[in-house]
Amino acid sequence: MARTLADQAGGMHYLVSTPRRVVTVYLPLAIFVFVLLFPFYWMAITSIKSNAELYDTSHGSPFWVIKPTFEHYYHLLFETDYPNWMWNTVIISVVATFLSLFASVLAAYSIERLRYRGARTAGLVIFLAYLVPPSILFLPLAAMVLNLGLFDSKLCLMLTYPTFLIPFCTWLLMGYFKSIPYELEECALIDGATRLQILVKIILPLAVPGLISAGIFGFTLSWNEFIYALTFISSSENKTIPIGVVTELVEGDVYHWGPLMAGALLGSLPVAVLYSFFVEHYVSSMTGAVKE
Amino acid sequence: MTVVSEGLGQRGAGWRRLAAVVADSRDLLGWLFMLPAAALLLVFLLYPLGLGLWLGLTDATLGEPGEFIGWDNFVTLFADDVYWLSVFNTIVYTVVASVAKFMLGLWLAMLLNEHMPFKAFIRAIVLLPWIVPTVLSAIAFWWLYDSQFSIISWALIHMGLIDHNIDFLGNPVNARISVIIANVWRGIPFVAISLLAGLQTIPSSLYEAATLDGATGWQRFRFITLPMLTPIIAVVMTFSVLFTFTDFQLIYVLTRGGPINATHLMATLAFQRAIPGGQLGQGAALASSMIPFLVASVMFSYFGLQRRKWQQGGRD
Amino acid sequence: MTEITRRDAIKLGAAAALTAGASGLAGGPAAQAQTAFALKPEAGASLKVLRWKRFVQGDEDVWTANTKKYSDATGVAVRVDSENWEDVRPKAAVAANVGSGPDIIITTNDDAQKFPNKLLDVSDLADYLGGKYGGWYDVCNRYSKRDGKWIGIPMGCAGNALVYRKSHVQKAGFEEIPKDLAGYLKLCQNLKKNGTPAGFALGHATGDGNCWTHWCLWSHGGKMVNEKNQVVLNSPETIEALEYAKQLYATYIDGTLSWLDPSNNKAFLTGEISLTANGISVYYAAKTSTDPAMKALADDIYHSNFPVGPSGVPTEQNLFFNMIIFKYSKYPNAAKDYLRFMMEKEQYFPWQTASIGYTAHPLAAYSENPFWTQDPKSLPYRDAVKVMRDNGYSGTLGAASAQCMADFLIVDMFAKACTGNVSIKDAAMQAHEQAKRIYKA
Repeated sequence: MARTLADQAGGMHYLVSTPRRVVTVYLPLAIFVFVLLFPFYWMAITSIKSNAELYDTSHGSPFWVIKPTFEHYYHLLFETDYPNWMWNTVIISVVATFLSLFASVLAAYSIERLRYRGARTAGLVIFLAYLVPPSILFLPLAAMVLNLGLFDSKLCLMLTYPTFLIPFCTWLLMGYFKSIPYELEECALIDGATRLQILVKIILPLAVPGLISAGIFGFTLSWNEFIYALTFISSSENKTIPIGVVTELVEGDVYHWGPLMAGALLGSLPVAVLYSFFVEHYVSSMTGAVKE
Repeated sequence: MTVVSEGLGQRGAGWRRLAAVVADSRDLLGWLFMLPAAALLLVFLLYPLGLGLWLGLTDATLGEPGEFIGWDNFVTLFADDVYWLSVFNTIVYTVVASVAKFMLGLWLAMLLNEHMPFKAFIRAIVLLPWIVPTVLSAIAFWWLYDSQFSIISWALIHMGLIDHNIDFLGNPVNARISVIIANVWRGIPFVAISLLAGLQTIPSSLYEAATLDGATGWQRFRFITLPMLTPIIAVVMTFSVLFTFTDFQLIYVLTRGGPINATHLMATLAFQRAIPGGQLGQGAALASSMIPFLVASVMFSYFGLQRRKWQQGGRD
Repeated sequence: MTEITRRDAIKLGAAAALTAGASGLAGGPAAQAQTAFALKPEAGASLKVLRWKRFVQGDEDVWTANTKKYSDATGVAVRVDSENWEDVRPKAAVAANVGSGPDIIITTNDDAQKFPNKLLDVSDLADYLGGKYGGWYDVCNRYSKRDGKWIGIPMGCAGNALVYRKSHVQKAGFEEIPKDLAGYLKLCQNLKKNGTPAGFALGHATGDGNCWTHWCLWSHGGKMVNEKNQVVLNSPETIEALEYAKQLYATYIDGTLSWLDPSNNKAFLTGEISLTANGISVYYAAKTSTDPAMKALADDIYHSNFPVGPSGVPTEQNLFFNMIIFKYSKYPNAAKDYLRFMMEKEQYFPWQTASIGYTAHPLAAYSENPFWTQDPKSLPYRDAVKVMRDNGYSGTLGAASAQCMADFLIVDMFAKACTGNVSIKDAAMQAHEQAKRIYKA
């Protein structure tokens, strides 16, 4: 449905002449894309420059690379723990995301469709979870994590990440569930289905785009998280990409730009692939969430 | 989940009856469904938060639990110029970055909403800045902003536009602008894609009718697009403001709060006081003092911007 | 290279005991009497060590090799994790606060003084080492001792000396770095005129920013607090230091206000600047590079100590390394024994040599390491621990001094004065007020 609306929204372009479209649409868009992507270009080009070429602006343009080398990638993949960090990040992000989705689906469904007493308040309270900046929460949280015996384990990240994923996922799913007609549910209730069956068999299949977009959001935030991973994890084999790259690839007062940038690029690759598959779902499910 | 219900079934009639009671009661079932989310949030958020607030009222240092000292930490902070500078910086940072993200994000969303070749591909690559781990893109920006090796300075010099390197992070005003740009760069995609979703819900018949009535492009934007988008703007901007206000990684990498504390945000100053400085109580107090600002900004967008309380599940 | 070192090290063994008695020693006669350290590691002990990531490659290689040697000899499994030195701090903070984490952490500056009660008393080990190797340099007493007890074992410090391009300094009319403040300023001005300026970090750079600004303050006789921890920052000496720094700043390359710790290395190695202050890591990077241009640069790099002010004594601040054992460690004896092993001459010399003296030694007898005379360029770093001052000078180290450092009080005072952000008088006054608030609490 969202797609048809989208097509209609863009359907008036015949009213605008081509030269004008170039100025009002393509040119600004090109500038946006250039600005948004330039740092990536710079990261990519830095990651294949040799160290000697890196600081040398006298021979040729720094925007180009004269002798490309893949030594930094080689170093990253075969001489550091990077593949391991990558794997950790994937595992932690996937588990944290699914855990959050599970909790959020139940919470959103109950707030939105069960309308129990206090549901409105719960909807607001869950939102307030974002009022706590992790940059200071991590210390009391560290004590908590320790008491549960989870220190320096992947599990502690899997359990703490949902704290900042659940509120957004819940909010998004609430909007989405609302767009599903009540009649479907009422019919099923009359047929004697339990609420759980309704949720699993009727609501969830209809909410797949919503789940995808909540999932992508959660996955991205988990992928990027910094301060909890920095302070709760000390063993190299348990680190995530952002932490591993920053704490182990920066040596003393020397930044090794090649491996750092290679690490940043490789580190965004899985999420980028995920997005390229799902971006349309993301848009359309957000669409679902914002409709009344 | 089906396993759970089967498990309930096997435990005999008593359990089944109880399950039936729970299933029939919206309240009980509702609370049951809330349990996983509530448990996670209570244990890993509310409890540490309470602990953090309590810390702010003590003279705790690293390793020493400290004693209750009432509002002393706040009194100390309120007499501290650096604290007020960080409050000022945080507000400027949040307001400027949020407004810029909103305007540019909305603009980008409207551009992406147009018909064009490779639409899906462009939408996907535009999201890239949001995907890279912040701390790593911040390192890339640090390199782009380098006082000697900035590629931006190099390019501008070669184009003959300037004659010496731009001091991106080396004076208070430039440094503030530079960190805001880096933040905006990262934040635009999220705003744009979310607003794009909102744009798609606006029926094109509205625009067509308006066009027939002779409305200009600006009028269509002002009286159709903007009002129809308000609910999603409210939510997206609330998230955006919250994330900007509590930003940490970018500053930690780019400037560590320098030069002369010009880019210290409340979150980074709280960290600096608590961890390198060892004054846990004061750091916690500083972080707690962010909460009123956050509540205010949330309330503003939650009640001010939105027309309906649809997020809470209420009817219009 | 290693071969030579080992042979020299053995030769030195006999001489070591005799070399005690140099100036500025601590340890006392009682400590010196102790010659054997007989703590057996607990059965089945294993250790986790968190240290800062190497500044120079040789450091990590030999540290790892020494650790392996220890494990082979004692059966104690030791696992060493290393992280960027500034990220060790939050880790140490969490460890101290929650009471769990690595057994040993190698911390920087006065971190240990922030949570002394969480740390194992290592007085026995410190006395043993001090007694055997000619005593600890004085500054160790201040960084590693609290209330008469040793709470850490000094590992040494990363000496922060002037690194310069000899050819450029000669072109500026000086054969070497002048020893006095006026001459030094003249040199910087000439360097600037020649288009080969100096560059010193003035951003929030924990290492490089603090080092040179503290030197500047102290060399003019200014200081944060007196012996009674009363703030005396706003003084004529401080004003003088700020005025001097402002003239220096005018000769620096543009953008030093944004510089963090890595900035000057990069600028120096690429020829943007000809004079800076740093550890020996810049030289190491140039020396070990395979690039011929870098090799040529290495030949031109020389080191020198900072000029000395009117007081006539060196006033340097260096990045101090303290190895601490947490009380929560299940194997305190093994932890002590490991640190003893790593600090013994047989391990310390090869390690220091491999890192070309990045870490200056805290024990007097270790200045006999033959390495120091093999490459005269490293000589200015040799006595870094011996001559350095602690960052709480001339009061005591503790929570207040740590907070002043964390808040970059001195760095920002200089930054304000140098850039004319506020007047010199106001810069000194504002920093004074801030320091008073911190020291009062």
